[in-house]
Amino acid sequence: MPPTPEEMPTKAKDSGLKTLDPGINYVVSGLERSGTSLMMQMLSAGGLPLAFDDLRRPDEHNPRGYFELEGGKIITRLMHKTFPMETYRGRFLKITAFGLLYLPPGKYKIIYMQRDLDEILDSMEKMAKTTDPQREETKRSFHRLNAKVLQDLHARTDVDLLLINFNEILRNPSAQLQEICQFLQPYPCDYDNMLLVIDQRLYRQRR
Amino acid sequence: MQGRTEDEPSTPVSIPTALARKIEQRIKGTPFPSVSAYVTYVLTEVLSGTEEDSEGTFSKEDEERVKARLRALGYLD
Repeated sequence: MPPTPEEMPTKAKDSGLKTLDPGINYVVSGLERSGTSLMMQMLSAGGLPLAFDDLRRPDEHNPRGYFELEGGKIITRLMHKTFPMETYRGRFLKITAFGLLYLPPGKYKIIYMQRDLDEILDSMEKMAKTTDPQREETKRSFHRLNAKVLQDLHARTDVDLLLINFNEILRNPSAQLQEICQFLQPYPCDYDNMLLVIDQRLYRQRR
Repeated sequence: MQGRTEDEPSTPVSIPTALARKIEQRIKGTPFPSVSAYVTYVLTEVLSGTEEDSEGTFSKEDEERVKARLRALGYLD
């Protein structure tokens, strides 16, 4: 019998690992509502060190929490070049896609989440409690943002990038988890505990 | 090189004679067999670039639309 949500691991597995490579900034990214919180939760369950605070509390949209710093508003600080990226080396930090346009030079390992864009927009509308009257235009804009961010990341020599598909991770978690654990080598990740995090019942915007 | 093939239907387009003379000079020693082939190639490239821009470039308008959504979601002040 699969575990209930209450039985699922919601806290970091204490692997004793306090930091990954202290010379590298580790980032989980993707468009908002693309599964970045799920990825942070999986990494936490896998025993990987994360950097986040509890400014934005769990809610019905993210029952297990957002795993964000400063309520997710570090984008503004990145835009103004006031975010102390060096403080967070060696730990995974969540920076959503738009913020990556302002990522300062450094050394990065980035896990970038991709998800069906209509599902993302459905989830955004639900979260904002509104219906977007310009949905098609919004979709095109987010599509172009996603394309630009990925183009920029591919062009950078200071970024090691792993693309993970949210829809695929729910369909075929084993293959995706193997890729993630391989990406994190030489650091160990608790594959089985990460697998437990993937709860089909949280996949509410399926198309 | 992309140009017009013999069996493709074509439409005459007028360009200034001086421009045609410049093109004639430019295509000497190149694979372009005629002014028409060169003009077809250049226009195809220009149009292809324009279509790519409208499909793929993240514009200022896109940025404002994205920012508005991010503000609604609480990700931007």
